[in-house]
Amino acid sequence: MNTKFIERPRSFCALGGAALAVGAIPGAIPILHSSMGCGGSIYWNQLGSTGYLGAGYCGGLAVPSSNIQENDIVFGGAERLSEQVENTVKLVEGGLYVILTGCMTDIIGDDIQAVASEYRARGVTIIGAETGGVRGNGYRGYDIVLSALATDYIEQQETKVGSKVNLWGIVPGQDAFWRGNLVIIRNLLERLGLEVNSFFTEKDNLATIKNAGNAALNIVLSDFYGIGAAETFQDIHGVPYLATPLPIGPTASAEFLLKVGEALALDSAIVQELIRSETKHYYTYVDRIADAYSDLDFQRYAVVVGDANYSVAVTKFLADDLGWLPELTVVTDEIPTEQQVKITDYLGNLRSGYKTNIVYETDATEIKTHFRNHWPVNRGQQFYDAFSPAFVIGSSWEREFAKDIGAGHLTVAYPVSNRVVLNNGYAGYQGSLALIEDLFSVIVAER
Amino acid sequence: MRGGINLSYIDEKVAPKREDRLGTCIEFGGSVCEIKRKFGCGCLQNSNRTFGQGSICQLLPATAILNSLQDTVVIVHGAVGCGGVAHTQSASFRWGQIAAGKTNPKGLLWLSTNLGETDVISGGDAKLRSAIIAADKRYRPSAIVVLSSCIPGIIGDDIDSVATELQPQINAVILPIHCEGFKTKVMATAYDAIFHSIIRQLVEVEAEETTIIPDELAIAAEKIRRSKLVNLLNVSSMTGADQQELIRLINKLGLEVNVFPCDAHPEAFKYATQAAVSISICPTHDDYFLTHLQEKYGIPYINGQMPIGLNNTNIWLRKIANFFGLDDVAERIIASETAELNAALAPFRENLTGRKVMISAGEIRTLATAVWLQELGLEVVAVRPYHYDTFGEVEIEKLVVINPSIMLNVATAHPFEAVNIIERVKPDVYLGHVSDNVWAAKSGVSVLPIYGGQNVYNGYAGAYDIARRLNRILKNTAFVKNLRANVRQPYYQEWFDENPFKYIKQGAID
Repeated sequence: MNTKFIERPRSFCALGGAALAVGAIPGAIPILHSSMGCGGSIYWNQLGSTGYLGAGYCGGLAVPSSNIQENDIVFGGAERLSEQVENTVKLVEGGLYVILTGCMTDIIGDDIQAVASEYRARGVTIIGAETGGVRGNGYRGYDIVLSALATDYIEQQETKVGSKVNLWGIVPGQDAFWRGNLVIIRNLLERLGLEVNSFFTEKDNLATIKNAGNAALNIVLSDFYGIGAAETFQDIHGVPYLATPLPIGPTASAEFLLKVGEALALDSAIVQELIRSETKHYYTYVDRIADAYSDLDFQRYAVVVGDANYSVAVTKFLADDLGWLPELTVVTDEIPTEQQVKITDYLGNLRSGYKTNIVYETDATEIKTHFRNHWPVNRGQQFYDAFSPAFVIGSSWEREFAKDIGAGHLTVAYPVSNRVVLNNGYAGYQGSLALIEDLFSVIVAER
Repeated sequence: MRGGINLSYIDEKVAPKREDRLGTCIEFGGSVCEIKRKFGCGCLQNSNRTFGQGSICQLLPATAILNSLQDTVVIVHGAVGCGGVAHTQSASFRWGQIAAGKTNPKGLLWLSTNLGETDVISGGDAKLRSAIIAADKRYRPSAIVVLSSCIPGIIGDDIDSVATELQPQINAVILPIHCEGFKTKVMATAYDAIFHSIIRQLVEVEAEETTIIPDELAIAAEKIRRSKLVNLLNVSSMTGADQQELIRLINKLGLEVNVFPCDAHPEAFKYATQAAVSISICPTHDDYFLTHLQEKYGIPYINGQMPIGLNNTNIWLRKIANFFGLDDVAERIIASETAELNAALAPFRENLTGRKVMISAGEIRTLATAVWLQELGLEVVAVRPYHYDTFGEVEIEKLVVINPSIMLNVATAHPFEAVNIIERVKPDVYLGHVSDNVWAAKSGVSVLPIYGGQNVYNGYAGAYDIARRLNRILKNTAFVKNLRANVRQPYYQEWFDENPFKYIKQGAID
């Protein structure tokens, strides 16, 4: 989807998403085959948009990069890439090298697969993926990397292990809370007795990723991100996938667990028991904040702004678990019209029955217009049903909008520049408790 | 023609790259003495690295300057990722406003033409047109910058023609700027690209007002005002506090300032031709603009020093004073500032003397900082300018006198060379560029980040603050020591026994 210009794009390019995804796999080394500025561009984006996610093992400006110049573009850059790979494997210790192309090398058509094959023949574990920025945004880059792993790295296996799943759909960097979110859901699934391959956390490693082909199911925690790769995985490895919205809060998490149980034909008693105990755990804590919620009236009108994962997941949590009033849900991705039904259906059938208004808008300054179109402005009436008290849950960009409408604000979605994120996450039962802490802390911040 | 400017450059759509204009080098490993000798004979051109790491293209510093312009919208003409660096710039921009006491800071605003695969085939001009028209209508800016990334450079988009064609129907002034990342290895070419467009589009000589009865008193007053007006060219790596310090010193000479390009309103460039002289704080930043302003509009300039540290600030101030015949005033200022500064530095000098230091940042800033830290009593063991050209020679001369064998590595980041050097020269502290610093920290070396924040780095206040921060940072080194013990570098251990410059291939002379 590249139909129009975008104000302040809320994403990396495909190369950026790919580089962050590869860099998030323990032991994997990205090798950029791109212009010299691509590495810096990705890193300087990352430093202001991902909750202060650092370079890590071999990211940032340590990322190996062919840094092609004008003469490479004229005469072809494959030779330079070959030299770069040769020296990278001598210098940089990794278990898997992944060549990632930028716009220029994509456009001139350098044959990176030939270079990768050449080095594979020499015993180097290396694959390549075409990830030029013109192919799309960071989410697309993530999808391309997973597809490349499925195609060229993960071993094909006939026999599947019924209790083994791969966990996708949460995109490193695009989701600042990706590590926390993946680990939370991973832990949850492990309590169902499943073996979980989450690819991008410290709990994963290359050996288990290489062995991901015998999983019984790919669970994609998104209706939009990683779906292409799940299709590829299904074609190559014969593993079906379950695409389900990112679950935040007890209502969505229970629905999620039931779907997983159904897809894997798990013993429903085990699933029910997990839902029961997790819900009990959740309400043990909510019990003790109910006083403040009731005494101080913590209910809020809400505007939720974020990518197709967060905007939907947070809206559902607010409406179905917290009893808040999400009036406007702004999905900041370019979602093709025919696919918007996934969001409309999900948010149109909230358990609470609350109806939000869904808009698709990439440009931050236009959100106010959507809001004004939705909620009547005060035309000097003495008695005016104001959008108050209110909260805006979105990205760091929405601080100004929140201030304009006198609302509280919490950053959860990209870009995240006003928060530091380590192992925190908002997914599942555990994550929703953290989200409650963060939301209510804003309300009481000045007390 | 090394070090020179050809006035006819400005008639071209695109400024020349610095490799061609200045013989700029971006790959070198050796000592300060060697670079002095080899640069002089032109031996440093056409080098390459056979192992590269992600680096910085000219588009990145360009956005730092252009996004800061007031009342201006930058349209990055490229794929959706180009221009994303503005996320970090926006965060810094907000911090800067807060440091300046603003209670309602604003983030940056830019557009991406979001070029996709079909645009590569059918061209991106149409999308660019719609972005310009929308930007003009939606934000009503004074200027719209069209910043070209790599892609338009090879798919044949003509941003200049689009700008010319649309200008009559657009309220804002359109500034086409060419920053194709693959065209030059020297990110500082960005400064020329920006000033090139500013000179072509914004700088002008105002028409003289003609009145029937001239107000001679007003004319004289204006002449006096202009005789004491200077252009101060700031840089995007300065903080507000740096700017205040330099303005303070210039004001002490009884002069007034017109500051640009960073954070300036596009109108500010119109007044550039009113000033008596232009003052630079960084020759590598401003030479293209200064030379053109002199040759085309007769505005002389003062260039050559970055006012970092006591002596360089003194030299900088003396040059300005000398231009106006204010040498005595300058000496009085210098005497009083120096006395106060030295008294304040005394306790820090004691703690800092003999500490080993390594520096990595822009050319002039790196070398000028090295000179200051030596003055302060530290021992400079290695310097890593991001590039090297004739403008660095003044400071290199000084370093050669101090110690000809100081290790010198010309590198735009490339941390694999930095961490190897660190293991050899074992600095106590590393002063680095944003995104370099972390690799020194992982090597167990305390870091003083050169850029950003709310620090002051320039002038006398900066000379003091550098010492004060160094003194503080060295008070507890537990964080970096723990990092070194627990986090590993991505390189095989053997790398640390190799020549750090092994992957630099010195090129043949053209």
